[in-house]
Amino acid sequence: MTGQSRSNLYLGLFCIAFACVLMFIWIPLDTKTGIVVKARGKYNIGDGLAPTVAAVFVLLGGLLMLLERNATEQSVIRKNQLKFVASLTLVIIAGFTIMRFAGPVAVELTKLFRAEPLEYRLLRATAGWKHIGFILGGTFMISGLIAVVERKLTRRAILTGIIAVLVLIAAFDLPFDDLLLPPNGDV
Amino acid sequence: MDVLAYIWLGIQAVFLGPEAFSILGIPVSITVMMVLCGFLFGIVVGATPGLAGPFAMAISLPILISIFGYSPDALLPVMGFLIGIMKGATIGGAVPAILFNTPGTPDAFMTTLDGFPMAQKGQAKKALRVAHFSSASGDTFSDIVLFVCAPFLAIIVEAYLDLPEKTGLLILSLSFIAAVIGGSAGKGLISIGLGLLAVYVGTGEDFYPRLSLGADGLSRGFPITTAVLGVLIIGAVFKELEEAWRNTQRTTPVQAPVESGDQNLHWADIKRLFPFIARSAFIGTAIGALPGVGSTLAATLGYTVGRARHQKIRAADAPRFGEGAPEGIAATEAANSAVSGANLIPVLSLGIPGNAAAVFLILAAESIGGFNPGPAVFRFSPDVVNPELVIAFGLFTCMTIANLFNWTIGGVFMRSMGFMINIPKTLLLPAVLLLTLTAIYVQETRIEAIWFALGFGVLGYFMRVLGISPLPFVIAFILGRSLEETARQAYSATGNDPFFLLNNPIALIFVLMSVAVILFAGRKPKGTAP
Repeated sequence: MTGQSRSNLYLGLFCIAFACVLMFIWIPLDTKTGIVVKARGKYNIGDGLAPTVAAVFVLLGGLLMLLERNATEQSVIRKNQLKFVASLTLVIIAGFTIMRFAGPVAVELTKLFRAEPLEYRLLRATAGWKHIGFILGGTFMISGLIAVVERKLTRRAILTGIIAVLVLIAAFDLPFDDLLLPPNGDV
Repeated sequence: MDVLAYIWLGIQAVFLGPEAFSILGIPVSITVMMVLCGFLFGIVVGATPGLAGPFAMAISLPILISIFGYSPDALLPVMGFLIGIMKGATIGGAVPAILFNTPGTPDAFMTTLDGFPMAQKGQAKKALRVAHFSSASGDTFSDIVLFVCAPFLAIIVEAYLDLPEKTGLLILSLSFIAAVIGGSAGKGLISIGLGLLAVYVGTGEDFYPRLSLGADGLSRGFPITTAVLGVLIIGAVFKELEEAWRNTQRTTPVQAPVESGDQNLHWADIKRLFPFIARSAFIGTAIGALPGVGSTLAATLGYTVGRARHQKIRAADAPRFGEGAPEGIAATEAANSAVSGANLIPVLSLGIPGNAAAVFLILAAESIGGFNPGPAVFRFSPDVVNPELVIAFGLFTCMTIANLFNWTIGGVFMRSMGFMINIPKTLLLPAVLLLTLTAIYVQETRIEAIWFALGFGVLGYFMRVLGISPLPFVIAFILGRSLEETARQAYSATGNDPFFLLNNPIALIFVLMSVAVILFAGRKPKGTAP
């Protein structure tokens, strides 16, 4: 990950540019009171000052990185690292998407075979129903992540996912009535 | 009420608090049990390569809060558990370092240099005993320094520092942390800047939530758990997974080395090791008292100083440092363990977290309420009981109890944890990831929190890849609001003086020191962050 690279230079330039965007575009346009605000004839600290201080820290950091542009060991972001972290992120997003919609979809499917009306929102505190999303999404997420790291999907990965999800249900859901497993706070 | 009365109340709060169970009619307090459970859990986590104390703290906190609720009665059991983890993980990290040449925690790396050669010579158990004895000694010394120094420092801060000076002190702390954590002041400043920026999103005094881009999700700001757990834990899990993905994974279980010869730690050994332990305990405590300076640096410094001393006094037939010298283990373990207690000095006396463990203690205090670490805690009010001071002495009592557990059962338990090396990271870390995300969700109960945490996790990963330490980010996130609030109050208190930092001599000194520390650290780049 290290070697003769110009990553310090690029990092420095990126931070300087980001700090300038912050100070001259984002903060002025996205705060109502600016750096100082005049109220009852007196100047007070506005909401823009603190983020501007943050931007100054980023700017100073960027300038120092320019001074360190010839440092002997410079870290580099490689393409395969970008791909790897993108894969992990996608698996997690997919896992939580399954988690979010599996319960309501299961209810809709059940409604096809039942006369009585059903609504997931009313069932989200009912054992079984409330666990569908977490079990399916959680198992998908864990086994998917293991598959990405091990470069193959194995039964061991799926089993690990199932066991981990069941342990989490036992830890968070069974002992506490007031805790909501994902996604039951949102549906 | 005098000091002794407060100390007594703190001890009573621990021992006479809610009862877990009773033995022969003698009640055992839930806080004591939580310290024990946290300590044992910390050893297990520390002995598992790829995990560390902060992981355990992160995943425990929401469960603990669910169990104990948000009342002030929850503070001591919850924080006692976290303190137990902090101490347990420190000694647990030495186990795989000695037995398998794999440090369980980053600060145990130097332990491998002499621990593993000792294990290869059949002296594994003796090496573990040396590690435990040194670690417990360093930790105990550090705690004593904490108990004495934190109240005095807090009293001095409260007596002599007004709002402008406190603003200056916060700026100095952030600058110092930027300068010392990692290998580059520039990267430290970037990390601080990003942390401050993140905490200011969706906050402010105006009705319009600043920097929210008009988005409803951002208008409430980033919850502290998403930023802290995202950058610290999820980012670390991503990095560990990437390393596991790049390396060929071990498929066969690793066996502990065969033991031979005397494995006991004798009085003669202790006498020989003691100077190394004492020196390293002092170094670790001094380093730990500075916010942001980690146990890895303390271990390296303790080892280096110990090696220099050992070269002068070494017997001809004794192994050198790096070849299986027990003094090498003692120097490292005493130094890295001495950091943990001293690291709480800036937290309890100034409200400035110095390491990841302190971050989680502050997170626990913020989540539960009723205890705001900082100089105001040590206000010895004579007429009315200051409940925060009672909690502070309760925490000191918890640390003492954890030390007692460390001295009595810690060694035996840590020596039985060698098997944890065989738990594959590739299976464990995805489960830890779901656990962390679930823990965030049960606290925030909105899916946005998951996306925020994931975003911060990706940020934490890239920060690690680029050698930018995520700890300044987290510390800035925690201190950001306090910095703004103190500055606003100082501005008002000085009659709307825009130059309040420059017109006040002590505040000016702090500001000049901030500039000096950044310039000094920025003069010589030292490569990548650890």
